[in-house]
Amino acid sequence: MAVQTSPRTPTGSSSTSTASPRTPTGQPWTEKWGGLLFVAPFLVLFGFFLLWPTLSGLWNSFFNKSLAGVGGEFLGLANWREVFHDPAVWSSLKNTLVFTAMSTPPLVLTALVMALLANRTGVFGWFLRFAYFAPFVLPATVVTLIWVWIYQPGFGLVNGLLTSAGFAEIDWLNTENRAMLAVVITTVWWTVGFNFLLYLAALQGIPEHLYEAAAIDGAGDRQKLFRITLPLLSRTTGLIVVLQLVASLKIFDQIYLMTVGGPNFSTRPIIQYIYESGFTSYRIGYASAISYLFFVVIVIVSIAQFKLFSGRKEDLR
Amino acid sequence: MTAQAISLRPAVSGPVQPRFTFAKVALIAGAALLALLWLVPLLWALDTSLKPEPETTRTPITWFPIDPTSAAYRSVLEQGSILRWFLNSTIVAVLVTALTLLVSVLAAYGFSRTTFPGRKVLFGLLVAGILVPPQVLIVPLFAEMTTLRLVDTYWGVVLPQVVAPVMVFVLKKFFDGVPRDYEDAARVDGANRLRIVWSVMVPMSRPILGAVAIFTFIGAWNNFLWPFIVTTDPSMMTIPVGLANVQGSYGLRYAQIMASAVLGGLPLLIIYGLFQRHVIRGVGDAGVKG
Amino acid sequence: MPNHPASPRPGPTRRRVLAGALGLTGALALPGCGATSGPARVREWNLFGGGDGARLLQIHRQFVAERKDIAFEAHTLAWGPPFYTKLAMSAAGGRAPEVATLHLSRLRGFSPTTLLDPIPLDRLSAAGINSSDFLPQTWDRCLIDDKLYAVPLDQHPFVLYYNTDICRRAGLLGPDGRIKTIKGVDALIETMKAVKETTGKFAASVETTNPWRLWWTLYGQLEGRFFDESGTRLALDDAKALEALQLMAKLAADGLVPRSSPYAALVAMFTNGDAGLSFNGEWEVTTYETAKMKFGMAPFPQVYDVPACAGDAHTFVMPHQNGRSAASTQATVEYIAWMLKHSVEWAEGGHIPAYQPVATSAEYLALRPQADYRDAANHVLLDPDAWFSGSGAQLQNEAGAAFSGVFSGQSSPRQALDQFKAAVQKLLDTPSPV
Repeated sequence: MAVQTSPRTPTGSSSTSTASPRTPTGQPWTEKWGGLLFVAPFLVLFGFFLLWPTLSGLWNSFFNKSLAGVGGEFLGLANWREVFHDPAVWSSLKNTLVFTAMSTPPLVLTALVMALLANRTGVFGWFLRFAYFAPFVLPATVVTLIWVWIYQPGFGLVNGLLTSAGFAEIDWLNTENRAMLAVVITTVWWTVGFNFLLYLAALQGIPEHLYEAAAIDGAGDRQKLFRITLPLLSRTTGLIVVLQLVASLKIFDQIYLMTVGGPNFSTRPIIQYIYESGFTSYRIGYASAISYLFFVVIVIVSIAQFKLFSGRKEDLR
Repeated sequence: MTAQAISLRPAVSGPVQPRFTFAKVALIAGAALLALLWLVPLLWALDTSLKPEPETTRTPITWFPIDPTSAAYRSVLEQGSILRWFLNSTIVAVLVTALTLLVSVLAAYGFSRTTFPGRKVLFGLLVAGILVPPQVLIVPLFAEMTTLRLVDTYWGVVLPQVVAPVMVFVLKKFFDGVPRDYEDAARVDGANRLRIVWSVMVPMSRPILGAVAIFTFIGAWNNFLWPFIVTTDPSMMTIPVGLANVQGSYGLRYAQIMASAVLGGLPLLIIYGLFQRHVIRGVGDAGVKG
Repeated sequence: MPNHPASPRPGPTRRRVLAGALGLTGALALPGCGATSGPARVREWNLFGGGDGARLLQIHRQFVAERKDIAFEAHTLAWGPPFYTKLAMSAAGGRAPEVATLHLSRLRGFSPTTLLDPIPLDRLSAAGINSSDFLPQTWDRCLIDDKLYAVPLDQHPFVLYYNTDICRRAGLLGPDGRIKTIKGVDALIETMKAVKETTGKFAASVETTNPWRLWWTLYGQLEGRFFDESGTRLALDDAKALEALQLMAKLAADGLVPRSSPYAALVAMFTNGDAGLSFNGEWEVTTYETAKMKFGMAPFPQVYDVPACAGDAHTFVMPHQNGRSAASTQATVEYIAWMLKHSVEWAEGGHIPAYQPVATSAEYLALRPQADYRDAANHVLLDPDAWFSGSGAQLQNEAGAAFSGVFSGQSSPRQALDQFKAAVQKLLDTPSPV
């Protein structure tokens, strides 16, 4: 974890460093417990809005708890058994994984291409950075309103281009096998900017003298790219892939807003199924059990990420 | 990694030889084409929003409004809800950002510089909390909100978003690296610890706090899932949630839908335009720091 | 960060921060205090888009103009699951709107005793609305444990729309200018072929992505059952269910209806003449009138053994609130009563009024084409009675998911039926949350 401090002298304090031993003012209570006061506000919120729901979710998963406030009897493992036998759980989990698998490669590769194109381009770079990253700052709803319109059969932009080029029109969001692709395209457009900036930062961290030395050795642009740039970006690529995997697994917004999981549930992600089970069908207990299954998947990926990274770091040292 | 973090400077640097080879021109053209491709959806939305309704569904599609009009914007604004949602988004994003900074800075300082019984355990709990994705909490959290009677309130929207263990973690690591000399100096001057946080730690960490603030703000403004769950009253919705409800009620009026999309996206595009440098460096820092 | 621009502004002082925080708290408190004195507030949620939405807006304008003593505001949410999910969540949260629309078929599945507040009968009759003003079978479905949880506004059957110009050219109109009665499968197909030849595209527009209503109508005309006597076991008659699905598949295979058409396309195709018929609920009257179309309407043809059509009723309910004041309840009841008494304007949009003084009024009977299909009200089949059924509920979703493949050709009737039955069985196996 690299941390560096800009040596900004705090205003109003002299910089004479008298390594002063703390004067024991005889207030043992504040010395011992005072620190807790600093973390207390966070801990209270953490307890209320993270720890408590995490635990109550686990608790609820053993009960027939209903949004409507009826029922609520102890079910033992029935919810959990149902999770493992519910095809909708597995198909929505599969959709989530399919989305992750489909979206991650283009989100990484497009970002890399963009960063290579936008690196060291002077004033023009401002425009490129703006264009590539701008969609990222838009809310999901704005993005999906625009793209649903673009995919619209009849008079949407994409189909307009398709038909004018002589192809058949595609009802993107209402056709199985096309809807997920449409969502992935939208997602790449929307979120690739973040990965692009990560790559750009890494590119700008590559010392210029490496290229100069290579140029002296007579290396061409292509060699510089494959011998210097790409190898030096490998750690960043690893980071981006991992961040992207975890982010993609949490897919909900775009799909819910574009297809509501359709057609024929072919795009419904697991979070939407949790939402539907808990709120549309009132089944808080069951939805909590699905949430925990999903939680386990996320934790596994996160731990894999941690392992991968602690390993990689040591390689570099 | 330290070297990388320091060298995050704007792209214009080093000796750039203005050699206009064919390859270079091709690269620039490619970059521009890609940028254009990325801007087309935004421009198309803007374009549609300026057309009169019948023209939006004309085939073959017309590229530019034949008869540009601001009618769609006027009717969206007249319906009024969007202004209310702007207000809600602003309140929510400002509160989330301010509270997250306040709470996280204090906690980070507490974990970095003070000792108290149970500190290690609590910090371990916090690190474990980073692993919990907010998405898996929507169901129990909503049930909790009904008990606390916070459904359809600003606090209901804001408070869960303030819990950002990863921010505390990052700031704590940052504070760990701040030399204690400054703090000791301030202590000699008789400053209490709260004052030290305010006059030593905060100024020292202004860049990272800026990055945290910008991302928290964008995140809170754009957050869809949680406000979507916890607000049901249209007058309490934020921009992303309110606009999602609009989809159904406008019917097939595309110019109006696009006008509301443009309005909904504009504030953050402006903020991004203004703070582009900070945003970009913020992402860079986040990446480098992992 | 060496290149961080030195910021010239002075850091905020603690006082300033505090003042800002206080200001914000003030701003936050503002919208919270809705319970101030003044006109009683009635917030209404509904799920009406399209023509219905426009008409409701008009009726509401009149209400607001007439009842200045009530602070009224209406919100339209996206139809179906989004609306009902939000409504249930708001009632669970305790800050629900004062009144909302709800499909009668969904009343039991909504958990009325916990998520709805009962509607006080005494206030309702004081406002001039009594049980005798409704068809008994409709009224009885609104009572749960002898308490009234819903007040019916209308009935809305699945009907047949026809484009008069196209049907005249196809020779399908009788001397009175109305479509000739179609009876039986062969007659239906013959009629549709004639229409297709005239339009050159399709005969009828249907919502292939949500074909529940068409299937339930056809299955109902075959007198198919859904549950057994216990009301808890699936008792679908495979042969009848398949017969209905095969007819749907044939219509698509012969190009009489489109293979894939979401709701918006159903409306568009009938409007622009790509289809001369349309199988749909009766609620698009306003849309087609606005488009200056020449069209008529009739009960859905009796294709099989008995006349029957899928349908439902819109009702008003009072979602659960933590603290409902007497004044707000009174204003809400008065709103409901006002809406029923003005339901002839609502009926112009296509719905058959539930409030009999209006349904039998000369004003309603004079409406064309609205009064032409009012007989259908006697043959309306509500959804099977289960917690997962009703307009836009899971049963219809599952049917949509399974049966849309029959139109598109992606699944055979047998596959679609198996998928549907498995889905229903799964719902039945689920412990009821209400």
